[in-house]
Amino acid sequence: MEDLGRLAEGVRAAVADATGSDPGAVELRPIPGGASRETLLAEAGQRRYVLRRDPPEAESAVPMATEVRVIEAAASAGVAVPAPLHFEPAGGRFETAGYLMEHVEGESVAPRLLRRDQFAGARQRLPAQLGEALARIHSIDASGVQGVVVPDGDPALAACELWEATLDEVGEPLPAVEAGLRWLRLNRPSPPARQGLVHGDFRLGNFIVDGDGLAAVIDWELCHGGDPAEDVGWLTIRSWRFGNDERPVAGMGGLEELLAAYEAAGGARPDPERLRWWEAMGNVKWAVICARQAHDHLTGVRPSAELASLGRRICEPEWDLLELVG
Amino acid sequence: MQDRPTAPELLDAMAAQLFTEVRSWVPRERRFQVLVLANLCAVIARELRAGATPSLADVALFRELAGVAGPAPAPEEANAEAGEAARELAWLIRRGSLDGELAEVIAGLREHVRRKLEIARPGYAD
Repeated sequence: MEDLGRLAEGVRAAVADATGSDPGAVELRPIPGGASRETLLAEAGQRRYVLRRDPPEAESAVPMATEVRVIEAAASAGVAVPAPLHFEPAGGRFETAGYLMEHVEGESVAPRLLRRDQFAGARQRLPAQLGEALARIHSIDASGVQGVVVPDGDPALAACELWEATLDEVGEPLPAVEAGLRWLRLNRPSPPARQGLVHGDFRLGNFIVDGDGLAAVIDWELCHGGDPAEDVGWLTIRSWRFGNDERPVAGMGGLEELLAAYEAAGGARPDPERLRWWEAMGNVKWAVICARQAHDHLTGVRPSAELASLGRRICEPEWDLLELVG
Repeated sequence: MQDRPTAPELLDAMAAQLFTEVRSWVPRERRFQVLVLANLCAVIARELRAGATPSLADVALFRELAGVAGPAPAPEEANAEAGEAARELAWLIRRGSLDGELAEVIAGLREHVRRKLEIARPGYAD
């Protein structure tokens, strides 16, 4: 991000191409958050856009070009997303691979959404809106979107293997996570009737919310084909309730509200055991991600006290995991 | 020996000042980072006060669940020894050697996680 001036010129040219009019000088400001993508707000007079691109030394689970195709598919399925305007491959106007999208007004920071009065109405509506959005996302045929990874066999087994392998890469022994993973391996649900597109990080923090509720679903970088129940399980882990433990959906509402809206929008209601399995797997995932982020600090990949502190948070999803499998 | 305040007392003082004064100096959008640092000070203070006790309990638990015996480590080696015992136990669980008693292993490990939470996030397991 050393040369934002040159990048700003690239964005200006891309906006001119995409919209047919030169926006004038573009000012870029990093938007904090995204761990594996760089996100910048681009402002030119009254016009605002968002640039999302690979960091220079990037390696991403889902390539940028695939992410754009997924967002376009989601928009076609009726999911609220920020519309992509222009994609550039690596070495293009955005230097690394990236795309420019429209800027969606709203708030995504969880504690603000949960506490501020201005979002009281949004909090009422959001659980059902999330159910409806999920049904639409899951209606997308993942194998029909070029570049999206779809597991060959049982997605539950694929998840066990993925998180065992990731834990091995980190190299820290976490016996509670191992015990949970072992239980999950031995008690897998039957493969789902159909695999759908799974968002992969569907939780508070990745929703742009305005006074009316859901304005956009963002951060599609972990999407893949799989069991639709995975997104519901991950959404409802205790960590994403931000202290409102009795409200499993984003700390705002009940599971029934979400599932009723999911069904009404054409989704097939997953049975409670399947949801419990994926909620437990969601806790495995969060525990391993915490360990990996702390490891990234320790190995100097990304030195940060904030990442380091996640090493002392592994025990939270571990506890919830053991509660769910015990 | 060092003079008072003790290390946990100093961390308490740091946490208190970060939580209140320093937080108010920092722009809103950066306050979260100050809270992370303040919370870390509070966590480390609890960790220092607990000493080797949680790690000694973990060594005993991990060995029991893995079905191995050994002398109790010296307090200054408790943490490293707990790491070794955790590695051995994790391996046995992964390869399925403890499948027959997985329910007992899960119940036992709940006590290990509870000990971590008492330091990192008191009240979470209640």
